[in-house]
Amino acid sequence: MNLASLTPEERDALAAEYVLGTLEAREARAVAAALPGDAALAEAVAMWEARLAPLTMLAPPEAPPPGLWDRIAAALDPKPVVKPKSWLAGLLDPWRIGAIGGTAVAATLAAFILLRPEPAPRMMTVLLTDRDQPAWLVEADQGGLRLASLNPRPAPEGRALQLWALPQGATAPTSLGLIPAEGRISVAPQVIQPSPGMLIEITVEPPGGSPTGRPTGPILFIGRLAPATGS
Amino acid sequence: MGCLWRLGVAICRPMDAETDLAPLLSAVAGGDRTALRAIYERQATRLFGVANAILRDRDAAADAMQDAFLRIAGRAGQFDPERGTPEAWLAAIVRYAALDLARSRGREIPTDDPALGDQPVPAEALDRVESSAEGRRLRQCLATLEERNRRGIVLAFVHGLSHAQIAARLELPLGTVKAWIRRGLLRLRECLA
Repeated sequence: MNLASLTPEERDALAAEYVLGTLEAREARAVAAALPGDAALAEAVAMWEARLAPLTMLAPPEAPPPGLWDRIAAALDPKPVVKPKSWLAGLLDPWRIGAIGGTAVAATLAAFILLRPEPAPRMMTVLLTDRDQPAWLVEADQGGLRLASLNPRPAPEGRALQLWALPQGATAPTSLGLIPAEGRISVAPQVIQPSPGMLIEITVEPPGGSPTGRPTGPILFIGRLAPATGS
Repeated sequence: MGCLWRLGVAICRPMDAETDLAPLLSAVAGGDRTALRAIYERQATRLFGVANAILRDRDAAADAMQDAFLRIAGRAGQFDPERGTPEAWLAAIVRYAALDLARSRGREIPTDDPALGDQPVPAEALDRVESSAEGRRLRQCLATLEERNRRGIVLAFVHGLSHAQIAARLELPLGTVKAWIRRGLLRLRECLA
């Protein structure tokens, strides 16, 4: 395919089909390869991307598998090959410790302090009643999430209270379990990884919890996790 | 903050979610990894949906997302706000990554899923399309196309079907489908001009 000899109409039609996705692999590769050096083609592709972009909204949003970000981060940063062993062995060699002296020890300490992971941020939110009275305290960090009742009140007769979390960007909340009568619940980080901005809500559900895995009853309490500064 | 309650599912997002993406992309162009993660956290659910609509396989969609985010990290400096929104730019990269993967698999992706294109588009999906002025105009223009023409364009764009797959699905000769889609695209361009 000689892209340089195309008429403007042919070029525009090719750009349209490239954006639409109907070109075969070879043609699509040829267009992609020509784009950086062909301003007219790049302009036509950009115009078609803008025209058709709203159609992407037809794809139903779907939560990606957990751990996908970690995979992407690992692919972005292939782990450098480190050989701490020899360095460490040298440092720990008793015959050399005296020679290295205090500076090295101080440097090691500094490195240890610098390399130590930052303390995980603590997050909190207070869930209010419809009269803006504090009802529940939610506290979370990388070690999980804890809920405590500030103003104990039983679930409505014959119903259960269920706790949910909705991470930012997620379309469906995750159940964190039923709230026992004593009003305390602790959620392991394997169930939910708390993050700032996460919505926490409590709904009224049938005994035993929502039968659908999603909230079915009214939301009694809602709040959003925020970093607890100064903690 | 705008919140919408539907069946107890909170759909809330800060009003500035869109405007925040452009500075994040600039930061990514400068090598800021936390900005890339912030983009991922805000957009992953929408973008994974875009990839999975094309690949219809969560593992493959995850591969496409990984590929797309490597491209986003490398090309964030090419984002030009004059040419479109950050959302559209991100979605285009994810679509190309998913389409490349679909092509490399010979597009051996099942297309006999009855949910593909035959059923009416759910109302909430149309609401999402019509959430922008561009989307409303596009929908009006699509409505002026013949039904099969419109379906062909949606099947290709949203579900990544090739000309041959669309022809098989609409039970039309390949050449006819190619010509129809090309004509439909020309009509769309005129209508949107």
